[in-house]
Amino acid sequence: MKKIVCILTLAALVLGGLSAGGSREAAPAKGVTITHWYWADNSAYSALMQEMVKDFNATNGKGITVAAEEYPWSGGKYSENLFTAVMGGGGPDTSSWKLTATPLFTANKLLARLDPFLDKWDRKSGIDPNLFAIMKAAGKSENTFVMPWNTQVLYVYYRPSMFKAAGIGVPKTYEEFLNAIKVLTRDTDGDGKIDVYGFGMRGAQGGQEPWGSFIHGRGGSLKDLTSAASVQGMQDFIDIFKNGFVPPSAPSDGFSQIIANFKSGKTAMTVHHTGSAIGMVETFGDDVSAFPFPAGKGQWTSMGDTENVIFESCKNKEAAFQWLAYLAAGKGQATWCEKTMNVPVYSEVQKLPVFQNNRFMKASMDSVSYAGIFPILDTTTEWISVTWPNTVARALFGELTARQAMEILQKDLYR
Amino acid sequence: MRVARNRQALYPYLLIAPALLFVILVVLFPVLRALLMSFQNYDLRRPGAIGFIGLTNYAAVAGDPLFRAALVRTLIWVLFGVGLQFVVGFILALLLHQHFAGRGIVRSVSLIPWVTPGVLIGLMWRWIYDGNFGVLNDLLVRLGIIRDFIPFLARKGTAFPSVIATIVWQGIPFFSIMLLAGLQGIPSSLYEAADIDGARPRQKLFYITIPSLRNTIFVTTLLRIIWVANSVDVIYSMTEGGPAYATQTLSVYIFNKASSMNLGYASTMAVFLMLLLSFVAVPYLRSMFRKG
Repeated sequence: MKKIVCILTLAALVLGGLSAGGSREAAPAKGVTITHWYWADNSAYSALMQEMVKDFNATNGKGITVAAEEYPWSGGKYSENLFTAVMGGGGPDTSSWKLTATPLFTANKLLARLDPFLDKWDRKSGIDPNLFAIMKAAGKSENTFVMPWNTQVLYVYYRPSMFKAAGIGVPKTYEEFLNAIKVLTRDTDGDGKIDVYGFGMRGAQGGQEPWGSFIHGRGGSLKDLTSAASVQGMQDFIDIFKNGFVPPSAPSDGFSQIIANFKSGKTAMTVHHTGSAIGMVETFGDDVSAFPFPAGKGQWTSMGDTENVIFESCKNKEAAFQWLAYLAAGKGQATWCEKTMNVPVYSEVQKLPVFQNNRFMKASMDSVSYAGIFPILDTTTEWISVTWPNTVARALFGELTARQAMEILQKDLYR
Repeated sequence: MRVARNRQALYPYLLIAPALLFVILVVLFPVLRALLMSFQNYDLRRPGAIGFIGLTNYAAVAGDPLFRAALVRTLIWVLFGVGLQFVVGFILALLLHQHFAGRGIVRSVSLIPWVTPGVLIGLMWRWIYDGNFGVLNDLLVRLGIIRDFIPFLARKGTAFPSVIATIVWQGIPFFSIMLLAGLQGIPSSLYEAADIDGARPRQKLFYITIPSLRNTIFVTTLLRIIWVANSVDVIYSMTEGGPAYATQTLSVYIFNKASSMNLGYASTMAVFLMLLLSFVAVPYLRSMFRKG
């Protein structure tokens, strides 16, 4: 009798264990902790992320606790540090993401497939299928490894008062835009020195995005940087520097510098996304507005992207997906996008009045139809962080012609 | 009796074994691994293509104009960086050796650049040099030295001298404190005897002070050469090696390549840098062993 009881007890334990395992597949285990890495552009965004984490932890009802750790973006070094950590067997369960990092991680099989979770997710249809197509293309696979979160479409910030003082209107074409850069460069107090530059050029890392708009403005493309049209776009970029229409510090100006220059009134226009809109309004009130990068022979603007991923090493992928879903289509989507003014990816959130009635969001939405991303190749990260800033600087300094610079850029990107 | 003697002979080796094992794991293994990778196509962006390629990386590095330019720049970086640190540090050490009110405070304050993290120094100086809002430009304009702001870090001609000036600022306290310690060890009787013989300050400097500090100068300079040649943080946080590669030293180039996950190529350059630094490291180690 004792033996029978023992066998039955053992069987019950084994079966119970199996069914618990099965349920673990279907729903996250109670008391799960997910470590999430992210970056934040400023301290307000850091606080916001921590608030969202608190909200998720309190409301998910599945016993999932997210522990969010912040690391600096550092012009893209975030992705490299993340790779080192995950490749070394450490790192988080989930992380904020940029598509450019995808090939490196998928080549080393570090990302978890999201398709099994997406297939049974009832809010998937609320996200534009094109976005998922871009995510798949980045991973060079039929599988989805990246979960959309928000996008940032670049447009041109401008100071209406400066346009009025210069007697010009908002440029409608690429040619008018080049002319506006020239006309807005002015010595406002007559002391023989330039006080306002027409355009805040970003020559350091990240500057390839607005630069891409110049290339397309002449009808060029990122696929063929050596075409006559692409070279002409590069020549325009060089000319506005050589003619003194941008601050002389442009070759080393990064995000902080172009924003500081615009906010101090040193530049009349600069290119960035809605992420800096709140700060712009705080500085200028109504004397700041935005327009989409104008069309020339072609038209293009960079669509920045921010997503989230789950790593293959994550032991509770179902729980991790709940967190990603909260960010992509749950309360996290509305909270983050509203407070940071990033473009939401979930259709129900896009319809909210706060996004429909905002002038910067409108410039973003108006730009979406021709927005694009840089080619996602395994060379892209190095090209963005090293090749582009140094080669363009050499061209700005006159060491390389526009054609020579474009030949180097083409060769290094498609090597 | 013989067994006991053998055991006694083995005892010191047993004592250093843990430390030796630690050094092998933490230092020797990574060095050998890097050496191995220098003979491989080891690019983590293309893991499928990882494999031995013999001396291909070495040939590529030798023919790489960016490498040659970075090599020359590294020599200038070390020569001026360490040279100026030493000269100014030595002068500061002589000043701090004098008796004056508040000497302790001045000595403590002079250490600030040395104890500040390199990345913070880089960020701080990046804004000091800023071409639009930089305090240095503002100061120079107010003093009437320049008319227009100079974008120090955005021009090829000024970017490299600017980062050298920053590393000099950072390293001065190291020399001044080390040399000050050396100065305090020189017996005052030597100076008293020189005074009796009517020696002038310049003679005392060249015939007593400098010869007495010879070993300190030798060791500190060699150490600093190695550190400065390997330093990445200050340059990287100021310019990332730009503009137009104007501030890309060998260590920054290695860092850039390694960050791009091309570890084979980065390791090859690291081997070159290691060989270069061995000209400094070997005399340093020999002097250490001589002392031992």
